[in-house]
Amino acid sequence: MVRKVGIAGVGHTKFGRSEVPLVDMLALAALEALDDAGIRTGKGHGVDQVFVASMGAGLLNRQSSVASALVDTLNLQPAMAETVENGPASGASAVKLGYMAIASGMCDVALVVGGELMRVVTGWEATDFVATMLHPDAEYAYGLTLPAFAGMFTRLYMDKYGVTEKDLAMVAVKNHEHAMHNPVAHIQLVPSFHAIIEDEDAPVINPYVAEPLRVYDVCPVSDGAAAVVLCAMDLADRFPKKPVRIAGIGQATDTHVVAEREVPTDLLAVRLAAQRAYAMAGLKPEDIDVAELHDAFTILEIAISEEAGLFPRGKGHLAVRRGETRVGGRIPINTSGGLKAKGHPLGATGVSQIVELVRQLRGEAGGRQVEGARHGLAVNFGGFGNNVVATILSKEE
Amino acid sequence: MELRMYAYRCTACGKLFHPARAVCRECGGREFEAVPLEGEGTLLTYTRVYALPEGYMKPWLGFGIVEFPNGVRVSGQMNTEDLAVGMKVRATVGVIKEGVGRDYYGFIFEKAAQA
Repeated sequence: MVRKVGIAGVGHTKFGRSEVPLVDMLALAALEALDDAGIRTGKGHGVDQVFVASMGAGLLNRQSSVASALVDTLNLQPAMAETVENGPASGASAVKLGYMAIASGMCDVALVVGGELMRVVTGWEATDFVATMLHPDAEYAYGLTLPAFAGMFTRLYMDKYGVTEKDLAMVAVKNHEHAMHNPVAHIQLVPSFHAIIEDEDAPVINPYVAEPLRVYDVCPVSDGAAAVVLCAMDLADRFPKKPVRIAGIGQATDTHVVAEREVPTDLLAVRLAAQRAYAMAGLKPEDIDVAELHDAFTILEIAISEEAGLFPRGKGHLAVRRGETRVGGRIPINTSGGLKAKGHPLGATGVSQIVELVRQLRGEAGGRQVEGARHGLAVNFGGFGNNVVATILSKEE
Repeated sequence: MELRMYAYRCTACGKLFHPARAVCRECGGREFEAVPLEGEGTLLTYTRVYALPEGYMKPWLGFGIVEFPNGVRVSGQMNTEDLAVGMKVRATVGVIKEGVGRDYYGFIFEKAAQA
């Protein structure tokens, strides 16, 4: 029997720079989510399993078995516990595993926490760490990085579909505007569109990082953690807030080596993951009211919005120009500020996207609320698109 | 050290790959023979990166994806400032990263001589 699974509680640290070590930071998000779900830790707490998503605990923080440490400090023994690593898609993968643990009937309640403590290293060390997910000989050894692949992808996208640097800057400014209404976002300022792209000093204010991508096309390096409490929907009455249902999850992989993609402007894993999630949810792209898409680079918000079926291929940037993707528009994207402005602590990101959708579907999103939102889509993107998880949440009527 | 790069030909169906892989994408074959991957190719896309990872002392570096006439596509470093999509480039093999006790070799592409 497959049980329906919902989200009964959410928690989220302020992204940016953590004042506390990794496990303490994870605990802050976890406790907020447990409180939100009305769960007191300690004897008889009822949390059966704990999943912790982290890409860099071992490489950045020299720590392993983080989930075991978290369970102890939270007083959640003897809950089952695992640490999940799936690159920048670790967060959504952990949510998927939590879903499976409950849907299978193995347990009733699971805590999923994602987090990353990245600002313990320099920017170029962080860039190097993220690049370790590339092919070791054919990519990583060359000094190739995620920004490098994003730059090469952007050039092809511009040539093929007419996307301009101004379109990308519009995505950045929109997401920074959204983040102003999200108290947990890393960056709380809105850059001037004129200054970063039109001004004669724009090349100085907003220099190229990986042509044609500039500083304001790339997400910052952030610390942070996010958490969700998953429950079987048949136990919904136990929790103070009506759980938001996980309606669909899809995941897909693509070639490890980016150069081997048949059509270099396609993100096949995004398309397949989204199709699988829609099929499981019994929904279509037109049903989606709000979306959190993995904008580690501004071009990815546009490309993912197309592969996920929200806009026709090559037309996503036109929707940005028309303002359709901002709060108040037809299909608001990255109301949280996205990775661009909220920040991208790798293991946290997939969980953070789910937290934002839950807040939207509950009507708790304050100044960035999408009125009447019933269905939300999250796309968490790993590798340069070689492992992607799409999740659809639905408000229970 | 022999400065040569290779593609790997599936002995069952003849399909070429770079880098080496365990199973042929085309036919499922598991045996491959190395064939030199060299000569001229076409630059499909490129970037100049100004925020290089740990271990690089240069202010910026060019990267590109190149397609060889046999259909194999690879990523590599670009040793020319004169970059354009569709231009002809020539593959050389050189040090792509200096390591402690060993250097790493790979494709460094140069602008092909005018025909």
